[in-house]
Amino acid sequence: MQIELSAVVPVPLRDRIRERPSDIWDRAVSFRPRQFVKIKAPSGTGKTTLVHYLYHIRYDYTGTITAGGRPWGQYTPAQLAGVRQEAISVVFQDLRLFDQLTAEENIELKRVMIPRPLYPADKIREFAELLGVTHVLQQSAATLSYGERQRIAIIRALMQPFQWLMMDEPFSHLDEANTAKAAKLIEQECRVRNAGFILTDLDHDQHFTYDVTYQL
Amino acid sequence: MQFNRILQKIIRTGVGKSRYWMAIIGLGVAMLLILVALQVHTDFNELLHGSRNQNERADYLVVNKLITNDMMGKPELTVFTPEEQKDFEAQPFVEAFGAITAAQFNVKLEADQLGFSTLAFFESVPDTFLDVKTEEWKWQAGQQLLPIMVPRDFVNMFNFGFALGNGIPQFSEKTIQSMTPQVVISQGMQQGQFIGKIAGFSDRISTVLVPQSFMDWANKAYGTGEVKLPSRVVIRVKDPSSIELRDYLEKHHYSTDNEKTKYNKIRGIVQTIVSVVGFFGLILLMFALLVFSMFIQLVISSCKKEIRLLVTLGTAPARLQRYLLGQLVPVYFVTGVIALAVVAVAQWWASGVLEKHGMYVAPWPGVMTIAATVGILLLVYIVNWRTVRKEIQAHT
Repeated sequence: MQIELSAVVPVPLRDRIRERPSDIWDRAVSFRPRQFVKIKAPSGTGKTTLVHYLYHIRYDYTGTITAGGRPWGQYTPAQLAGVRQEAISVVFQDLRLFDQLTAEENIELKRVMIPRPLYPADKIREFAELLGVTHVLQQSAATLSYGERQRIAIIRALMQPFQWLMMDEPFSHLDEANTAKAAKLIEQECRVRNAGFILTDLDHDQHFTYDVTYQL
Repeated sequence: MQFNRILQKIIRTGVGKSRYWMAIIGLGVAMLLILVALQVHTDFNELLHGSRNQNERADYLVVNKLITNDMMGKPELTVFTPEEQKDFEAQPFVEAFGAITAAQFNVKLEADQLGFSTLAFFESVPDTFLDVKTEEWKWQAGQQLLPIMVPRDFVNMFNFGFALGNGIPQFSEKTIQSMTPQVVISQGMQQGQFIGKIAGFSDRISTVLVPQSFMDWANKAYGTGEVKLPSRVVIRVKDPSSIELRDYLEKHHYSTDNEKTKYNKIRGIVQTIVSVVGFFGLILLMFALLVFSMFIQLVISSCKKEIRLLVTLGTAPARLQRYLLGQLVPVYFVTGVIALAVVAVAQWWASGVLEKHGMYVAPWPGVMTIAATVGILLLVYIVNWRTVRKEIQAHT
């Protein structure tokens, strides 16, 4: 699935974007399948906004974003749900876990959302083991530290099939060792699926071999 | 873990518990009222029209014009003109129509065995209107034996009123049937004698009847010659308590045995009660639907953040709708089945009680009642489905 942006300008950032050049805003951009894409951006340039546009949960822009050749606006809610279950996964900057669920239930939710889960249930424990969060699986998500929540959100995103993985500053609260482990797992899972990812970060990230890097 | 079990933890339906139970109880009571109203309606119809409840006596009505003070002395005002007869016969509620022919001659009964003699009168109706079928009920010209039918009330009047008061012995119906009073009919100078024979006792037509053939012959032989119009007619009706019949009689100032049409009043009352009960049931159903919708709105708006996140993560809105409906449907399905079961038990009980009184209704609920149960459940489902869909759409 190819994702293309054409003259996309966020309405709230319109004036600021005009002042400084950007590789993404107000240009024609194609994210080709299987690409590892890095989007580097200082604060306040619309990093999170871009991820939300790409995942189609914010619509306050001019221009068009197409996924698989179709503008987002043409997708019905049911089709959108299908895309989010099978084609595009996401790690939000604000993580978006359910506080009323345990860490494990948060991951399980995504695993069993599709009628035929991609992975068996013990995959959760396996990934948790890799990222060092096995001990918090039974805890309520509300009680976890930000770093722990971040790793749970990553594992959740990896429970589903996808062609694209969107990640918005996924390692912001992880130390170097944990970031390396997480990056390794993400890369491995992308390779398994033959999928690409789009990662946004404040500064230069060294954990992946990027195919393309954009300055927002 | 099942997806729905996780949803259960996210979407807390417990938030509107009191509303939920209010809606369920309201729905239950509303359904009960509507079903009872429909069932009573069905039962009452069956009592009136069911083949097992046919009341012979109630099917035949003798109708005459109401005699008012103005009409006194003007017998031509109390007869049914051919137009009136035709109009009456054409009414949809009249299944059969027959005129009661009055005698145009004088009648005298003499029972020598008893030293008893009385003036009398004869009338006749077509044989199909008789409730007593007997072989003796025929007469041919030249036949001396004249079958006569008297109302059973007449026998009772004689036995319990006249005989007791006058020191005359009471007679059984069998004894009366064995008597052969002299029948003398006359008009002016002409006179004829016959031997009377009580052929039966009628519950239906309260007059002294002779066979139509005799009446036709005698009216010709002894009558004045001119055709006399009937002042009483007999009709067969499917439902003596029908409103149309009552209105028709009232409109034309006709009068009939009020006893037979008293069901009019009872029926009116039952219909009113049934309508009122059904009406309250409908109102209650509307409120129950409203409370259901409020409950759904409350549940959805209380976890709209969660619903939005679920959809963001890829949950299909249709699946959320199914889940929410799945929380409601079994409960009101059970409610509906319970309401129907209660009505069924009540019906079974009522059928037993009524049977002891010679009234027959089906021991199980009517088709209408079952159809209404299905209909109401379907209505509740559709209303809930629409509410859920609307609310989910509003929050995603």
